Amino acid sequence: MTDTQWPRYMVLHQEQDNKPHQHAGTVHAPDAEMALLNARDVFVRRPDCVSLWVVRADLIFTRTQEELALHPDWLGNIQAAGVPTEIYYVFAKRTQKGQFSHVGEVEAENPAHALKMALQQYPAVDGLVWWVFPAKAVLKSTPDDIEAMFAPAAVKDFRDQANFHALSVLRKLMRKQETSNEP
Amino acid sequence: MYGATVDPIEDIRSDEEKLAEFEARIARGEKIEPGDWMPEEYRRQLIRMISQHAHSEVVGMLPEGAFITRAPNLRRKLILIAKVQDEGGHGQYLYHAAETLGATREEMLEALLSGKAKYSSIFNYPTLSWADMGAIGWLVDGAAILNQTMLAKCSYGPYARAMVRICAEENFHRRQGQDIVITLALGTPEQKAMMQDSINRWWWPTLMMFGPHDTDSPNSAVLIRWGIKTKTNDELRQSFVDQTAPELMALGLTIPDPNLYYDETSGHWHFGEIDWDEFWNVVKGNGPCNAERMATRRQAHEDGLWVREAMAAYAEKDQS
Ligand SMILES: [Fe+2]
Ligand SMILES: [Fe+2]
Ligand SMILES: [Fe+2]
Repeated sequence: MTDTQWPRYMVLHQEQDNKPHQHAGTVHAPDAEMALLNARDVFVRRPDCVSLWVVRADLIFTRTQEELALHPDWLGNIQAAGVPTEIYYVFAKRTQKGQFSHVGEVEAENPAHALKMALQQYPAVDGLVWWVFPAKAVLKSTPDDIEAMFAPAAVKDFRDQANFHALSVLRKLMRKQETSNEP
Repeated sequence: MYGATVDPIEDIRSDEEKLAEFEARIARGEKIEPGDWMPEEYRRQLIRMISQHAHSEVVGMLPEGAFITRAPNLRRKLILIAKVQDEGGHGQYLYHAAETLGATREEMLEALLSGKAKYSSIFNYPTLSWADMGAIGWLVDGAAILNQTMLAKCSYGPYARAMVRICAEENFHRRQGQDIVITLALGTPEQKAMMQDSINRWWWPTLMMFGPHDTDSPNSAVLIRWGIKTKTNDELRQSFVDQTAPELMALGLTIPDPNLYYDETSGHWHFGEIDWDEFWNVVKGNGPCNAERMATRRQAHEDGLWVREAMAAYAEKDQS
C-alpha cells in the first residue's frame, strides 16, 4: 500500500449562533487546514452550520463516568504543580442518547488537571463522558468562511425530504383504492 | 507538543464482574462508549458490522453514479449527485465509528480493495435504466432505513450516533426515489413499462438485503443479546414488505411474487421464498457486477493517489 494513515481530527460543528458546538465525527487529514476543508465536505452538506472546529483526536483527553467511578482516588491524586497554565475546552456527553457538546473552558496545567478543574467548575453537568483539549490546538472557521463554506448548502433545498410530495400522493392513491375496493 | 497521554486507569475487576456489569448496563439501556470495558467479542462483532456497512455505502455510490450523466433534467441530476455524495459521507461517518473501536482506516480500505471485505450484495446488481434510480431510492434505501433506524438505538454510542445522522439523510434518498417511481408509474405506457421492469429486477435482491433467515444467521443471537440489533432479519424483512407492497400496488405496479397476498388473520403480507442459492452466489462474489465494482473502486483509489500525494507534500512544506 502506498498510503500511510493521516492523523484523525475531531470535527465540532455549531448549528446556530446561540447553540453550543457539538461533535459531528472525525476526518483524516495531513494538517488542520485540510482537516477543516474535509470536515466541511463530509459534515456540512446541509444548511445547519455557522461554525466548524477541528482538533487532533490524539490531543483530546477523555474519561468516561465508568472510568472515574472505578477509581475515585485517581482524580484526588491530581494536584496543581504550580507550572504555567493554558485554556482547555471542555465537552461532555450528558445523556445516554446525546451527543458531545461544548460545556465551557477551564485554565489548567495539563489534560488531567483540566478534567479535574472541569468537574469542579461544572458540578451541575452530569457528564457520562468528558473531553478536554487545549484551546490553542483548535483550528476554527472564521466568520469570513461562512459565505464560501456554509452558505452554498442553503440553496440545495432538494436535500430536504420535506420538498418531496411522494408521501401525500401515495396516501391519496391508497385511499382511492380502498374506497374503490368496497362493494 | 501536547501531552494527552496520561496513565490509563487500571481496571481491577475480574472478567466475570466486568461482563456482568457490561450486560447490566446494556439491560438498563445505557450506551457503551470508547474507553468503557467491553467484551472482545462485542468489539469484534461491531468492527465487522460497521466496516461492512461503511464499505456498502462507498460501493453503493457506483450503481447510481453511473446514471448521473444520464439524468433526464438538471434538477434530477442535482438530486442524484447530492444523493450519491451523501452515500460517500455515510461511508466516512461509519469508518469513523469503526475507528473508535481500534480498527484503522488503512486496514479497512485495504480489506475492501483486496476483495477480503464484504459489502451489501445489492450493489452487485447492474443499473440498466433511469427507472432503476427510482427503484433503488425507494426499495434499497427504504430497506436500509429500516435496518438503520434499528441500529440508531444500538448499544454502542458512536455507531448509534452515526446512524441518527445517516437516517435523517436517508429519508431524502427514499423520497426522491418514490418521486421518480410515481412520475414514471403515472406517466406514459412506455414509462410505466420501464418502471415495472425495474421493480421486477430489484424486488427480490432488496428482500435479500435483510440477510439469511434468523435460523441460518449465526451472529443474530449474540447481536441481540448485547443490544447491537434489536430486531431479527426476518422481522425487518416483514416490516418492509408490509409497508412497501401496498404502496407499489396502489401505483398500478405489480410485484414479481405469485405467492404475495395480504393475510387477514395475521395482518401481514405473506410472500414467497427467496432464492437463497442466488443470494449465496452473489455473496461469494459471483454476482453480475462483483468484479466490475471492485475494479472501479481500485481504479478510483489509484486515480486519487496524486491528490493524496499533493496533500501530503503541501502539509510537509507548510511545516518546514
Ligand atoms: Fe447511505
Ligand atoms: Fe444507502
Ligand atoms: Fe441512501
